Amino acid sequence: MIIAFFGTGDTLADFSNEALRYMSIVAGFALLLGVISITQVSAGVVRKREKDWPYKIVLLLCLFTMAGFGIFQGITSGTVFEWLFENIQKPMMATMFSVLAFFIASAAYRAFRARTVEATILLITAIVVMLGRVPMGQYVYEDFPAVANWIMMFPSVAVQRGIIIGAALGAASMSLRIILGIERTYMGRG
Amino acid sequence: MADETPKSFLARIQNIDRRVLYALIFVSVIVPLFLPLKLPVPVTPETQNFFDAVEALPDSSIVMLPFDFWPSTLAETEPMAVVGLRHLFRKNCYVVGLSNVGMGGPTIADRLLDSIGGEFHKTYGVDYVNLGYKPDYRAVMLGMGTRISDIFPTDYRDTPLEELPLMRRVPNYDSVAFIFIVSDNVAVDYWVGLVNARFGIPMGAGVTAVMAPKSLSFVQANQLVGLLGGMKGCAEYENLLERPARAIRGMDSQSMIHLLIVVFIIMGNVGYFASKRRVPRS
Repeated sequence: MIIAFFGTGDTLADFSNEALRYMSIVAGFALLLGVISITQVSAGVVRKREKDWPYKIVLLLCLFTMAGFGIFQGITSGTVFEWLFENIQKPMMATMFSVLAFFIASAAYRAFRARTVEATILLITAIVVMLGRVPMGQYVYEDFPAVANWIMMFPSVAVQRGIIIGAALGAASMSLRIILGIERTYMGRG
Repeated sequence: MADETPKSFLARIQNIDRRVLYALIFVSVIVPLFLPLKLPVPVTPETQNFFDAVEALPDSSIVMLPFDFWPSTLAETEPMAVVGLRHLFRKNCYVVGLSNVGMGGPTIADRLLDSIGGEFHKTYGVDYVNLGYKPDYRAVMLGMGTRISDIFPTDYRDTPLEELPLMRRVPNYDSVAFIFIVSDNVAVDYWVGLVNARFGIPMGAGVTAVMAPKSLSFVQANQLVGLLGGMKGCAEYENLLERPARAIRGMDSQSMIHLLIVVFIIMGNVGYFASKRRVPRS
């Protein structure tokens, strides 16, 4: 696949696509593995009546109900799976996410204190970006949007680049360690 | 006793009951939805560039639109997909939809493609297609560069691709003029890193506000032609398209919430500094 990235030609492309199809199939089986794992763990909790075991029953019921309808009836428009998804799953996921707004507001109010110079810089930057990213900000101070955009485009991007480069180098070195057999903790060995 | 009252006031503004805060946030979200403030939304260069790039596409171009978002972020991402589809269908572009998010992505794609396609009297299979979902987005993104039918032998509705007139014209990325990504996750990095880098397809992305700082680095590197950062970016795009919709309505609520949070942060800090000054030095 690395050769296919740089090379051309039908044979190479065919081989690469075959490998990619295998990747997709393996990823599908990984999902199946996830289902088996969560079933085993949850069933164990229910059997031993451990903490929050009734929730595990709900989890298993929902999992197999959705999966059952999806497998036997399909997932396209007009199916039970689609109805369950649109009317139960989607609103629940959106609700969980929207609750974050309340928690973030409360956490910002309680935790954002100008205790040190660094905290003060962070606080001022946060206020400028928060006001600069909404239309009302320009009424508080007309240059807030421009200042917020500058912060987002330059200092913030510079930091993000550092993080991305660091993470990429880390991923590359970890991949090398796994390929060379140095890193074996994922197999349960040191 | 005279000293007690201000002291307790300072303590109070530092520790307002969270239920009061939650109630104020609730009101700040709900009220502007019913009583819009209609604040103007200035357009940032990233959104303008994105809009210009789509506008510059020749009419009837083939555009890929990945619906790479989870239902949890629909408030931010769905308006982006809607505004993108409206712009593309207005230009009579052909849209190939797909999703790299198994849970919900293809269902949302199907609903939006049908609903916005219906607005413009477009026909499934001829003007737009939903390929659905296949696991492992790296394999999907790379594989479509050679043959889309290798990765998606059928579309989301189980129709073989060769039976869809649009897909007969789209064997791989060579026929795709632009990719309009809507994403709330790391998939956008792979569209840039794998598809833009290897196949050179121009692309723009609509991402959630928390993802915008990271994605802006791709804009600076010209790997993305533009970026819609959260609901604000989408509201700007709606403005440019002259089709005000959910994002513009949502900006009033967002304005109120941001202002409220800033006011509370300032109150907390005023209380903190005032109470610190009152503590006698030992």
